[in-house]
Amino acid sequence: MSLSSVGDRTRERYQATVPEHIRDRLEEHRPLLLVLPGLIAFSLFMFFPLAYTIYLSFTDAEPATVFQDGPGGLTGFFGLRGEESFVGLENYVAVFSDPTFWNSLGVTWLFVICSVALKVAFGVGIAMILTSDRVKGKRYMRSIIIIPWALPPIFTITIWSGIFSSARFGLANQAVIFLGFSEQAWLNDRWMAFASYLLTEMWLAYPFMVIITVSALQAVSDELMDAAKVDGAGYFHRFWHVTVPSIKRPVMFAAILTAAASFTQFLIPYVFNRGGPNRANELIVLHGYQEAFNFNAYGAGAAIMMSAVAFIGAFMIVAVWKGRLAEGVDGP
Amino acid sequence: MTVREWFSNKIRNDVRTVVQKPAEWREDVAYTVDGMRRGTIDPLDVAKTVLATLATIVFVFVLLIPVYWIFIIALQGEGATLYSTDSAGLIPSQFDPAAFVWVIGDIAIPGAIVGITIPFTDVEFYISWPRIVFLDASNYVDSTSDFPRYFRNSMFISFWTVVFAMLMIVPAAYAFSRREFAGRMKLLYGYILFTQVGAGLGIASVIALYTIFSSMGVTNNRLVLSFYYAAMAVPFNTWLLKTYMDSIPTSLEEAAIMDGASPFRVAWEVVLPLAKPGIATIFIFIFLVGWMEFIIAQLILSPEHYTLPVGLFALIDEHNVPWGQFAAFALVYASPVVFIYMFAQRYIEDGFSFGGTKG
Repeated sequence: MSLSSVGDRTRERYQATVPEHIRDRLEEHRPLLLVLPGLIAFSLFMFFPLAYTIYLSFTDAEPATVFQDGPGGLTGFFGLRGEESFVGLENYVAVFSDPTFWNSLGVTWLFVICSVALKVAFGVGIAMILTSDRVKGKRYMRSIIIIPWALPPIFTITIWSGIFSSARFGLANQAVIFLGFSEQAWLNDRWMAFASYLLTEMWLAYPFMVIITVSALQAVSDELMDAAKVDGAGYFHRFWHVTVPSIKRPVMFAAILTAAASFTQFLIPYVFNRGGPNRANELIVLHGYQEAFNFNAYGAGAAIMMSAVAFIGAFMIVAVWKGRLAEGVDGP
Repeated sequence: MTVREWFSNKIRNDVRTVVQKPAEWREDVAYTVDGMRRGTIDPLDVAKTVLATLATIVFVFVLLIPVYWIFIIALQGEGATLYSTDSAGLIPSQFDPAAFVWVIGDIAIPGAIVGITIPFTDVEFYISWPRIVFLDASNYVDSTSDFPRYFRNSMFISFWTVVFAMLMIVPAAYAFSRREFAGRMKLLYGYILFTQVGAGLGIASVIALYTIFSSMGVTNNRLVLSFYYAAMAVPFNTWLLKTYMDSIPTSLEEAAIMDGASPFRVAWEVVLPLAKPGIATIFIFIFLVGWMEFIIAQLILSPEHYTLPVGLFALIDEHNVPWGQFAAFALVYASPVVFIYMFAQRYIEDGFSFGGTKG
């Protein structure tokens, strides 16, 4: 019996047992089978932990209870549930009445606003320089200048934590001493630590802004530029009335995306000084993380995380909605 | 065209460009000087361009000083710290590769004894060879780092991440690109959305993820971590490979179908070979996920399974090693990534279209 005849017989049996309309349905949706493994795996690791975070935020979970053997079965999520019990909205009430949460949220928004402003200004500035006609070898400089993007984040951030080292020859201290000031303990002062976060975040993220802005600048119509020149518009007039309107939308779009990234920034405060001094600079995700893993309050940590998701989700929706509005106003 | 030819073509082109560039520049300069001499080019204009270019070069250098600084410190020997001027200044005082030797350790082929028994006879062979040492670190430094162990862990995790991810992504990308099925466009838009918000949501659910992994007793399991990375890599890479496959003309497939090839053979023998450059690209991206991820890895792995990013952070956070050793460790860890990116950048310039939601 050859192998192919086994295949034929299997196929015959398949056709005999499975009714035709089901076979047709299967045939029609067969490509979906190719997509499903990835979709299921991704959903498993994306949506299930998210749902579980919501569940945890309504319980008094902590390591002592959550890792115990729970009831099991369907209501125990097949053994995932420990001995934690429902506490309703208690975690949320506790979190919202905790001043450190509001401090953390305020610091996070301040961080988002300042870092986005810096990133946009810096990114657009670099992009203007690297598309200028006066500069030769722009293409090479462009590929060099996006190196920070290519570096692994943990590399960049640990290096910058060394730059802001309180040691005499940390790079930041060398710079301030060169400028004639005395050396600083950068990460021990609240606002200096905050400024060092900002500088690091800007250095990490400007390449993204530069790439988006450069491609937008290359699309600015030369005819419009020449017409403005003929009409005698100076450099700043041309920038404001020709360049800005044409690059506004892509830059806005990039700014919204990078704002979301800043909002969930975790590594910079974690690596620099664990959001210190005295938890003053804990950005919101780090705040939830510390609450859970340093203070063993998994429920409260989950509640903080969900609040953060709600805030950034609302921001994104408003930003996209506002973006649409701008489109309607500016459009022809 | 095989992938290797394709890569070697690219590299050959790059080398040719690098070799020919200086000649082109010399011609440009000669032309400009000649123009100024004849009075057709305004010297003031030239001066402005030269000044602007020089200023930009200085600016780019200042911007990248952190990278330069770490490079210099790594070359100051393994004892370099931030507390002495001759090891942390911007102008190097010495060049000493000891820190790099500390990171890499011995370079050697391990010795072994292999026994071969021929079946059904009593004949046995023993082949043995001694440890062949190319570089003995103990000649230069007192101790060596844990880099080789972290490296093995990272390679293990990245390897399995690539295997799991490829098995899920390649068929899916093919289906998205070439087949029609219910919910196709919606799924595709969902994937594109999650390439943007996935990272943020992933870190927000880190507490639940840790709880789930702990409850199931799979913390410190490198295979589970690989599968997690593979799953998180699905949306972006499926979309990327789909856009690449979209750019492959369908005429070859039509010809194969006319010749009576089954759908599976068309996919396996026509589409996949043509998609090799795209597959190579997502291979790199997926490999780098395991190579660079830090937060989840440091949360669930124990020291014996630390990957390179976790090991790097542990160096300054737990052990407080001299900055020179740390800098060398960090550079050895990051340099392959930079080279890969410099290379991959060309894809994007080659018109790797990122607008592929159409059709």
